Amino acid sequence: MSSHRGVVSRHGPQPTGSYPHAHVHGGMVWVTAQAGRDPGDGELVPGGIAGQLSQAIDNLEAILEDCASSLDRVVRTQIMYTDPDDADQIDALCARRFHAPLPVRTTWGVKFLAAEPGSEVVRVQIDCVAELR
Amino acid sequence: MTSDPTVVTKDAPEPRGPYVHARQHGGLVYVTAQIGRDPKTGDFVEGGFEAEFQQAIDNLEAILKAAGSSLDRVVKAQIEFVDERDLDAMNRIYGERFHDPLPARTSFGVAFLWKGAKVQIDCIAALD
Repeated sequence: MSSHRGVVSRHGPQPTGSYPHAHVHGGMVWVTAQAGRDPGDGELVPGGIAGQLSQAIDNLEAILEDCASSLDRVVRTQIMYTDPDDADQIDALCARRFHAPLPVRTTWGVKFLAAEPGSEVVRVQIDCVAELR
Repeated sequence: MTSDPTVVTKDAPEPRGPYVHARQHGGLVYVTAQIGRDPKTGDFVEGGFEAEFQQAIDNLEAILKAAGSSLDRVVKAQIEFVDERDLDAMNRIYGERFHDPLPARTSFGVAFLWKGAKVQIDCIAALD
């Protein structure tokens, strides 16, 4: 199994369960779904859906870079979100962050993502599969 | 990335966001989730769940063809749908459209889909 490698990046919010940030195998990197958590303290960032998704993509990008990949090498993304009214903002934000060659995408609405101690809730998460450099 | 790994075809509804219909890598083609939108008008087809699911599979098939693959080379399919009462119709239509060697499959109920879609399906397929 030496061709398999789990990666925990210094630049993403530290995993809170039995998973790394990413798993590298066969010329590809599979990245754990990222929420809008600050990599420093792990807290959910403010700013609603835009703030959260922006931070989540920052986290995804940092993890990809640490795995010798990048956003433009993303083959496939999955986005889960909790409010149907956020769909247009999600598209607008992804359009600013993902550039050609674009990935394929599957998105769907979920009942909930994660419980938070405060009034803010996790509204979106994004994972991906990407090519290595 | 010496050649363009992405696929967009006129035979499927135009991507409505920052993504492509399909992307090739490592002998596989990854396809964006398809819903029951007419490729010509971009509107949802009429006729409820069954019509939407048939159209979504039509779209998936058109994209696979444009990418150099086909439904019978799908390795994994994933289906999301909103109403559990549509489960039997989903399984029946799926059984009519997919044949041996059948792909692995994950399907699940979701809280909602884009713009009120009742069902969507994506896949990963072999190119050879």
